[in-house]
Amino acid sequence: MKILLIEDEKELAGSIIAYVQKENYICEAVMTYEDAKEKINLYQYDCIVVDITLPDGSGLEVIRELKKNKSDTGIIIISAKNSLEDKLTGLDIGADDYLTKPFHLSELNARIKSIIRRRNFSGASEISFNEIRVLPDQQEVFVNDTTVILTKKEFELLIYFLSNKERVLTKESIAEHLWGDEMDLADSFDFIYTHIKNLRKKITEAGGKDYIQTVYGMGYKFTVS
Amino acid sequence: MKLLTKTSRYYLISSVVIFIISGLIVNHLLHHIFYRQIDETLNEEKLLVEETINFSDSIPDFSPVFGHMIEVTILNNPHKKNEIIHDTVMYDSRTGSFISYRHLSIENTSVKNQGYIINIYKPLPESESLIAEILIAILVVFVSLVLVFGLVNYFIARRVWIPFYRILRNLSEYNILREMPLKPIRSDIHEFMLLNQALQDMSNKIRQDYLNLKEFNENAAHELQTPLAVIKSKMDLLIQDESLTPWQLNLISSVYEATAKMSRLNQGLLLISKIGNNQFANVEEIDLIQLINKTLDTFREMIEYHNIRVTRQFDPPVMLRLNRALAEILITNLISNSIKHNVGSGWIELFANKEMLRISNSGHSLTINPDNLFERFRKSGSTNSDSVGLGLSIVKKITDLYHFRIEYLYDRESHTIQVYFN
Repeated sequence: MKILLIEDEKELAGSIIAYVQKENYICEAVMTYEDAKEKINLYQYDCIVVDITLPDGSGLEVIRELKKNKSDTGIIIISAKNSLEDKLTGLDIGADDYLTKPFHLSELNARIKSIIRRRNFSGASEISFNEIRVLPDQQEVFVNDTTVILTKKEFELLIYFLSNKERVLTKESIAEHLWGDEMDLADSFDFIYTHIKNLRKKITEAGGKDYIQTVYGMGYKFTVS
Repeated sequence: MKLLTKTSRYYLISSVVIFIISGLIVNHLLHHIFYRQIDETLNEEKLLVEETINFSDSIPDFSPVFGHMIEVTILNNPHKKNEIIHDTVMYDSRTGSFISYRHLSIENTSVKNQGYIINIYKPLPESESLIAEILIAILVVFVSLVLVFGLVNYFIARRVWIPFYRILRNLSEYNILREMPLKPIRSDIHEFMLLNQALQDMSNKIRQDYLNLKEFNENAAHELQTPLAVIKSKMDLLIQDESLTPWQLNLISSVYEATAKMSRLNQGLLLISKIGNNQFANVEEIDLIQLINKTLDTFREMIEYHNIRVTRQFDPPVMLRLNRALAEILITNLISNSIKHNVGSGWIELFANKEMLRISNSGHSLTINPDNLFERFRKSGSTNSDSVGLGLSIVKKITDLYHFRIEYLYDRESHTIQVYFN
């Protein structure tokens, strides 16, 4: 999997690369519109993560350029502006997703995976991990081929964990993933705990292993080993 | 009280006072003049009578003429000369009433050493009625003058103050949030032009400061986003390190939470500035009931978790022209607020129709002044110290933008927020 990151803030770009490289993705990063244009005309990427405000142009132009080349690359816009207009324009000209800065790396990671999944399996995608099998579009979960009935939030939570295996997911990032970042729900952490408890219980009752580990004081981790 | 009413009232009161005082003075003067006139006549008649007595050396007969009488009485033992003049009242048998007279009485001795008293009476009613007539004439003229001047004054004042009222109207219509500067007025009155100029300068200065402040707020919040994004991303990487000790994790966790809070705070402030800078200009038809149901659905599990009973009473259709993003934020904040400040096994009641939206919930009694509820960073100290306290001020900002009236009511342990659409 090849990913192109177009981001002019060096430190942020460094963090993103460090995070997604663990997924065994090849991640290239450029900082300007000109470099980005050159890259997309030379190479093929599975996913492009693009900042709207670049020193020498707009990230929206990069998207237009891509679409002109009839590329089917997945596109995620990251922007500090959180402007609805930009979001609508971006999605209108062919971006797949829009993420407002500051975001959690785990959130970006989950969204990159979701886009790649959709692109590669065109709707019939599934996520498999050992005895767990998830069909995201049908909202179905199987453990050892038995159906597990999950609530909507438990389902989203499971996919979030599966997208960020072996990563510590903080309570904040889970809350934001489930309820969006516009919400000021500081007391939702107990509630997250209950959700995770229920999810664990449902999976183990269906014969699955308990993969979800509590990381003291921080959050939770879906461990493979 | 209006300026014109006030001046008219003062004018009337002072006119009445002047009217009474000048009436008394005129009355007094007229009396004085008439008495002097009568007294002179009495004295002349007295001299005439005395001359007649001295000349004829006898007492002639003075019959009453036109009700005014001269009486001469002979005295056998004359006193020394004594003269008085005063008012008196006598009974008139012809009319059967008392009539007031001016009375001159003089005791004197004649040439032949014979004493006599001359009494001369002059009736006053004629003079009194004359005085009254003159007084009435004067007062009628006076009153008409007062009225005419009053009216003239009133119309002049009304005309002169027109620019002032125009300034007042422009001031009350002035809204710093709108692009329009304070409307200037035109007048040939120097003072009003000065006032106009001073207000223009002041409002321009306030507007400029306000715009600068707004711009600064948005820029500050916006510029903070990038370093925050960097901090957050580095923290996300740091916590993945498996060699961290529990003690280090604890420290990181605190930093992480504080950063998350700062990030939420900054986003809230940025949102408030953006609403203020009118960056949500696109409006569309929003089905409020659908939006409420959708939002409740998002919170469904949380509502169930807290065992909150939700009752809804809607009177469809409730269609509003709003910006979609703001409408979502408004409803989300109101509902999350009612969950956040609820008690275990509490309730939420939602009501919506064309005119209003009402959301009530059970909850602990308020620890802050309800008047400050919609201000920034006001939060009830008892619960959620993690809450950034911007939710309701964002709600207020949105309702202000659309000129909705919002009010908060509470009755011990039930809290209600009502939004009236106009």
